[in-house]
Amino acid sequence: MASVHESLYFNPMMTNGVVHANVFGIKDCVTPYKMALLVLLSELGRAGAQLSLLERRRLNRLLLPLLQGPDMTLSRLHKAIEESCLNLANSVQIRIKLMAEGELKDMEQFFDDLSDSFTGTEPEVHKTSVVGLFLRHMILAYNKLSFSQVYKLYTALQQYYQNDEKKTEIDETDMELTNTEELEGKMEKEELDVPLREEEISCSGPLSQKQAEYFLSQQASLLKNDETKALTPAFLQKELNNLLKFNPDFAEAHYLSYLNSLRVQDVFSSTHSLLHYFDRLILTGAESKSNGDEGYGRSLRYAALNLAALHCRFGHYQQAELALQEAIRIAQESNDHVCLQHCLSWLYILEQKRSDSCVLLEHSVKKAVHFGLPYLASLGIQSLVQQRAFAGKTANKLMDALKDSDLLHWKHSLSELIDISIAQKTAIWRLYGRSTMALQQAQMLLSMNSLEAVNVGVQQNNTESFAVVLCHLAELHAEQGCFAAASEILKHLKERFPPSSQHARLWMLFDQKIQFDRAMNDGKYHVADSFVAGITALNSIEGVYRKAIVLKAQNQMSEAHKLLQKLLIHCQNIKNTEMVISVLLSIAELYWRSSCHTIALPVLLQALALSREYCLQYLASETVLNLAFSQLILGIPEQALNILHTAIEPILAHGAVLDKGCAMFLVAKCQVASAASYSQPKKAEALESAILNLNEAKTYFAKVDCKEQLRDVLYFQARLFHTLGKIQERNKCAMLFRQVHQELPAHGVPLINAFK
Amino acid sequence: MATTVVVPGLGSCDFSDLREIKKQLLSVAERSRERGLQHSGKWASELAFALDPLPLSELPAAPVLTEEDARDLDAYTLAKSYFDLKEYDRAAYFLRGCKSQKAYFLYMYSRYLSGEKKKDDETVDSLGPLEKGQVKNEALRELRVELSKKHKAQELDGFGLYLYGVVLRKLDLVKEAIDVFVEAAHVLPLHWGAWLELCNLITDKEMLKCLSLPDTWMKEFFLAHIYTELQLIEEALQKYQSLIDAGFSKSTYIISQIAVAYHNIRDIDKALSIFNELRKQDPYRIENMDTFSNLLYVRSMKPELSYLAHNLCEIDKYRVETCCVIGNYYSLRSQHEKAALYFQRALKLNPRYLGAWTLMGHEYMEMKNTSAAIQAYRHAIEVNKRDYRAWYGLGQTYEILKMPFYCLYYYRRAHQLRPNDSRMLVALGECYEKLNQLVEAKKCYWRAYAVGDVEKMALVKLAKLHEQLNESEQAAQCYIKYIQDIYSCGEIVEHLEVSTAFRYLAQYYFKCKLWDEASACAQKCCAFNDTREEGKALLRQILQLRNQGETSSTEISAPFFLPASLSSNNTPTRRVSPLNLSSVTP
Repeated sequence: MASVHESLYFNPMMTNGVVHANVFGIKDCVTPYKMALLVLLSELGRAGAQLSLLERRRLNRLLLPLLQGPDMTLSRLHKAIEESCLNLANSVQIRIKLMAEGELKDMEQFFDDLSDSFTGTEPEVHKTSVVGLFLRHMILAYNKLSFSQVYKLYTALQQYYQNDEKKTEIDETDMELTNTEELEGKMEKEELDVPLREEEISCSGPLSQKQAEYFLSQQASLLKNDETKALTPAFLQKELNNLLKFNPDFAEAHYLSYLNSLRVQDVFSSTHSLLHYFDRLILTGAESKSNGDEGYGRSLRYAALNLAALHCRFGHYQQAELALQEAIRIAQESNDHVCLQHCLSWLYILEQKRSDSCVLLEHSVKKAVHFGLPYLASLGIQSLVQQRAFAGKTANKLMDALKDSDLLHWKHSLSELIDISIAQKTAIWRLYGRSTMALQQAQMLLSMNSLEAVNVGVQQNNTESFAVVLCHLAELHAEQGCFAAASEILKHLKERFPPSSQHARLWMLFDQKIQFDRAMNDGKYHVADSFVAGITALNSIEGVYRKAIVLKAQNQMSEAHKLLQKLLIHCQNIKNTEMVISVLLSIAELYWRSSCHTIALPVLLQALALSREYCLQYLASETVLNLAFSQLILGIPEQALNILHTAIEPILAHGAVLDKGCAMFLVAKCQVASAASYSQPKKAEALESAILNLNEAKTYFAKVDCKEQLRDVLYFQARLFHTLGKIQERNKCAMLFRQVHQELPAHGVPLINAFK
Repeated sequence: MATTVVVPGLGSCDFSDLREIKKQLLSVAERSRERGLQHSGKWASELAFALDPLPLSELPAAPVLTEEDARDLDAYTLAKSYFDLKEYDRAAYFLRGCKSQKAYFLYMYSRYLSGEKKKDDETVDSLGPLEKGQVKNEALRELRVELSKKHKAQELDGFGLYLYGVVLRKLDLVKEAIDVFVEAAHVLPLHWGAWLELCNLITDKEMLKCLSLPDTWMKEFFLAHIYTELQLIEEALQKYQSLIDAGFSKSTYIISQIAVAYHNIRDIDKALSIFNELRKQDPYRIENMDTFSNLLYVRSMKPELSYLAHNLCEIDKYRVETCCVIGNYYSLRSQHEKAALYFQRALKLNPRYLGAWTLMGHEYMEMKNTSAAIQAYRHAIEVNKRDYRAWYGLGQTYEILKMPFYCLYYYRRAHQLRPNDSRMLVALGECYEKLNQLVEAKKCYWRAYAVGDVEKMALVKLAKLHEQLNESEQAAQCYIKYIQDIYSCGEIVEHLEVSTAFRYLAQYYFKCKLWDEASACAQKCCAFNDTREEGKALLRQILQLRNQGETSSTEISAPFFLPASLSSNNTPTRRVSPLNLSSVTP
């Protein structure tokens, strides 16, 4: 999950995880749309007295987004005004028409009149109000224009009006076909909500300043939150190139192009764009800031830092470290603690890739809190929790830490960190083997509405947290035998994260794992084998493990053993405890399959010790099952029953259905074995209870469609009934056994010798 | 069509019939001028001037007028005079409906030029910052549509195809443009403009190989030009030499191109002498004088540069080249503000004049205005991505800002563009050294030495690296090579590092107990101010030790640890005078 963090650390277009729309700040200029707004304002001033209170309130609320938003077409502006006040919309339309169809002097007159609104003892507009500032900006910008520019503006206005005329003509013919009031209303709303749709961008060549800004920030936030909704990489690049062709000084476009290249893993062009962006940024920084030196040095530091991030993302750790050193050095020279803090967090990410020390991490968290960088602090906490979880810290401490960071998140409403935190909890609970808790956390995230102001309650973002949670959910369902539900979830995942997107690897892995498990349950080992290659491609360790399991099932013991030994050494080296325990269990199983139970015992005890140490409760209970089975075979069923009692509870509570069945089956076997020494009535009682347990096991096996185990249970049950002299039940079981047995090929493994 | 008449005449690419070539040049110069293609006309007449004059009987006859030409003659004559007065719209207006090739070309060409002129005017007063780049030549689209119709109907002559290509290029349709220019070159190989446009569009050698070009003598000029552009200087110089041998020895065009080629491979002395020759032949020439001034600048020849600047300023002070020369002049006098001002003026005169952006970047660097320097370099790169000097300049800027890792990228780009330029390699090596990546640094220095080190510093740096790594043997070898290098090039340049090299070698031999070599080196040390004392001290020590171990020292007489070839090369340390050294080394 480390990759979540990396992608979030630094982005100049956002602060504390929130993308800001207007970070560019380029001076205003007069456009036809702005002129339409000016007309609206002057009409508003003229009709001031006649407007009703409601209309005036609505208009006032409308004005701000209009003034600050991107340019829009005349018809859309008309509709927006119309919603608030019909008369005003019409009079604006008429005045623009008069101006566009009139002469140049009409426009000049209009601008001359504009400044009147400030004069008088009680002026209509206050000079420093929002509207007043806008008016003054516009008048100033207009007065600066040369004659030919004024003429150009006028032709642009005519164009603006005529384009609109044409469009409304087409629209009117369309409208007549679908003349439903409601539909119309809906369409308007949609248009206002999504001002830039693909076809619009592609057809309208050059964008205006605001439109370009809006386009960039929208795409940037989409890339971050919901990649599928953003434009496709190729198309986005085309748009950016277009934008840059028209205005090479628009540095942010380079940054977006960098992000876009990252999506397609293009190291060359992403480096190019990144460096170009910072070359450009250095200029603007030097110009805009009054203390030029500071602004310009700042971007230098961040340039080096970003370069480090880039190299880290592409796995060039050595280069990343060099770049990072540079960033740190420059930041130190200029005493920029915030930048240093960012560097520190990258430093521990780099450190993590190599060793698992967390000194830096702890230090970073402390510092981040000290400098008041909540975003960095809680990212640090999350990384720390993740690392500690693997290192076997107890759950309560981890959950405490997560709770503390959650407090921070809610306080600063860092919605995406909340998502990550919940996803992390899901993963941690799964690690500990508490499927119910995991399920609950997963559901919580999925049923939570998005907290971001941009799309309140609309739909969740397609971030990695959601992918993680959905994958876990699918696996949990598959474990409980709800394969239909699992595949439904996977289908949903495929839709939300198409194969080309960056988080697609997650569900691909889970999908293959689930299919593999199913094939194993069905006894179709060759099918399972075919999935191994796919799993290996996505996660090599997991792939090797699965390969060994297939080999084991196919009775190729020595190959399986070799593979498992190799894997064991590797996993011990990289400290992947979870996998170590699984491998140990498989090795033990190999031993008892070859009837070497005495050798299996120490291996199992080692596994048990490890899983207890790292609080991996589920793996611990599974180890206990194995241990009990060995004891049963070694002839101490009473002891086996004793330790089974400790394990059965967590398995029934959290285990997969298959494991539940195996556990019940084993309990029954132990009961029967220990009943051998009992007196007759007591023995009958024990056998009865064993039969009940077998019934339970049978239902579990039936759920996951595990025919082989089912057959074994039936055989065992029939024998028990026979001992008890219940002929009818015995015959029924025998018949069922025969049915199942005919469907299955007989295997070499003797029935009584296996418990799973 | 007139073009088809010319083609058979130049079927071969040999230069045996210079008279025929001269005839062709004269006729094409005339035809270019008729169509307002001044530059192609100038090129052809310059070349024709370099050949012997023709007798009256062989002068090319005036082109025969066709019926169509005669019909359009009045309109053409009127329009041509308007065209010459830069009243393009007016010219186009009177030419509309003309059918003859010549008039039609002039019609289309004036429309194109009018669009370009308006575009330039528009750029000055656009409405907002975003509109700056949006100004387009509105006429281009219409021209393209009309020309492509004619092109399909095969109605375009060589000049028409050229114009079509230019329009396509302006619309960024590079592939189509290349095809059309190649076609134009086939139809009318004599038109230099089409070849020149082709030069601008071809970016590498592979592309050049893929083209099927007409097999005429013009192709030789084209190839020589494009080799210069693609930095394949050796090939270019060969081509130019063969052209001179063929009889174009008086052509100022070829002389200037050769000078530029020598400039590109940094053979400064040759380039300088050729430029001086060129200025004698063509004293009022302004073209290429910026390159000349660069050379003078590099050699710090202040009086010559000042003379050149004054001279050019008298000829025409509002030329890009003039501004550039003056900028260089001020830069040499360390008046960097003024220099930057002149480069800015050059850019105002021609915003696509690449050199000025880079030079301005250098000036800002001198003024320690790094952000402005970065801006200037970035602009240069925008105009031409292959400008290695701008990439190199960016690298230097970041290096000055103490970001050695960051500037690696820029130096690498520069190195990619000029793989055999030692300066980039040395810069790369220095960066690696700063990053403490000594292995990479060693590779860079070694490569810099291998490709022919211009500044002769790579070996010293390499030796110092070896010294740092305690690889004394390699260090000594590097120093030896370095000393050989310095003396073999014959110049007595004051090289700071020579003394260091001798000092190290003296100590090295001293440690190895090679007294003869050690004392020779130590004596060399005494010739330099900064190592004199050390040298003397060492000599005394050697003398002492020699006297002590007179008997034993004879055993170790030859530097046995050095490979045979090197120990024979080792002579510089044994012989006393540097003059002897230069004769030994190859």
